[in-house]
Amino acid sequence: MNADDWLRTLTAELHQRRVAADAARHVVAEAATHLREGGGDPWVVFGPPQQYAGAVVESIGTAPGPRPGPVRLHAAGITKKYGRRTVLHDATLTVRAGQIAAVVGANGCGKSTFLRICAGLMSPDAGEVTVSGRLGYCPQSGGTADFLFADEHFVLVGAGQGVARGPARRAGRAAARQLGWEAGGDVQARHLSGGTRQKLNLTMSTLSAPDVLLLDEPYQGFDQGTYVNFWDQLSRLRDAGTAVVVVTHLLNQLDRVDIVLDLTPARETGWHAPGIQGGRQ
Amino acid sequence: MNRLVTVAEMTLRELLRRRGVLLLLLLMPLTFYLIRRDAYLGQSVRSLLLGVGWAVSTAALFATTAARELEPRLRLAGYRPHHLYLGRMLGLWVVGLVISVPFFLLPMVDGADLRYGGLAAALLCSVAVAAPFGMLIGALLPRELEGTLLLLTVVTVQMLIDPAGSGAKLTPFWSSREIATWTVDDTDQGYLSRGLLHGLVVTALLALGVAAVASIRLRRRRHLRHLPVG
Repeated sequence: MNADDWLRTLTAELHQRRVAADAARHVVAEAATHLREGGGDPWVVFGPPQQYAGAVVESIGTAPGPRPGPVRLHAAGITKKYGRRTVLHDATLTVRAGQIAAVVGANGCGKSTFLRICAGLMSPDAGEVTVSGRLGYCPQSGGTADFLFADEHFVLVGAGQGVARGPARRAGRAAARQLGWEAGGDVQARHLSGGTRQKLNLTMSTLSAPDVLLLDEPYQGFDQGTYVNFWDQLSRLRDAGTAVVVVTHLLNQLDRVDIVLDLTPARETGWHAPGIQGGRQ
Repeated sequence: MNRLVTVAEMTLRELLRRRGVLLLLLLMPLTFYLIRRDAYLGQSVRSLLLGVGWAVSTAALFATTAARELEPRLRLAGYRPHHLYLGRMLGLWVVGLVISVPFFLLPMVDGADLRYGGLAAALLCSVAVAAPFGMLIGALLPRELEGTLLLLTVVTVQMLIDPAGSGAKLTPFWSSREIATWTVDDTDQGYLSRGLLHGLVVTALLALGVAAVASIRLRRRRHLRHLPVG
């Protein structure tokens, strides 16, 4: 990692840790000046960027996060059975504008089912969901058309909202750029790599500027850089007032979320669904 | 209207990019026509029409199956069910018409003496019925293999059944067969009008079937309540 990469990583880390934008710019500028004038390997001079960002946060603190807004998603008493097997029992989740909720749990515990019920793509056996505003949904896989270009996906989704072709294409490309992907070009979706296809999937779900965004493990196939960009984008959406629900099994990201809903059955964890609501809240 | 046209356009683009499938779609009616060419022109033309019907139904089946995962999210993006199924049907009808053109010209090049107006009407009936027929099978059977086998069964029955029997009228492509008889055998107008009426009724019934299945599958679920942004 050269000095530029190190500085970029530091910038991302400061942003993720919610250091005020002005202060973060100042810290990065100072570090850059120091490296330019004094020379040396930033890893030797400052240490790993994550560690340095942590020290900065300890020293100057973080900007207060925006106060959560009104309730955007309220799922209450969701129960779902497949035959005799109960996959969800009385699961409840409330997410406000400007919050990220993580839905976690063991394989087969009903995370995707819960999200599909919240999206209205599947009916529960009991319970109800109230959504305030527009809903966006990104499935775990699929959800794209093999023989269409990325731009055509943007046009297709845009037309649903009455958005003209040009603006839909531009909005799609801009959203894709946030994930480090230049979406233009005549490449059919079936020829995209798994990770890039998921970027397309994710971009489609954010294109309609949803008030509630439901993401079902959307980062399958992402490389490390894209994964960081993904969480950056979630932070941006949260700061812009979107209520985000993300199904994840990567527990190391839970410090970045406001609410955790654990759907692991009670006999495995000792708790009872509907799980916990914790995290940063 | 814009949504409907956009779905139709994307269906068309998708199908036109499946070059291998398109080639097979063209090959099938051609084979059907040529294989009966030595015997009797009527059989040859009827086989051609059945080939076109089978080809367009298969394309419709595959297009419907491929869109199964995409449609729910398009519904969330603001589409109503009728935008999706009517748009797709429209796109498939256009594809059907495009692949019908060479098969309208084929007997002409072959020097066949028949009523070409009738051939055009029979091709239109074949395409009109085939698109909703393939879509309905695709909507009811989620896997392509099952759908293809069902299509094969229907086309085989259509080919083997006695056209004069009462059961023949229950087969989807009876209309084009009836019109083909008028086209080739110089029969009375009754064949043409019966065929056109059958084609119209079957197309309408199949389209209603597609509408019903799509409306159920893509319905707003009762447990989900939408509130305006407060």
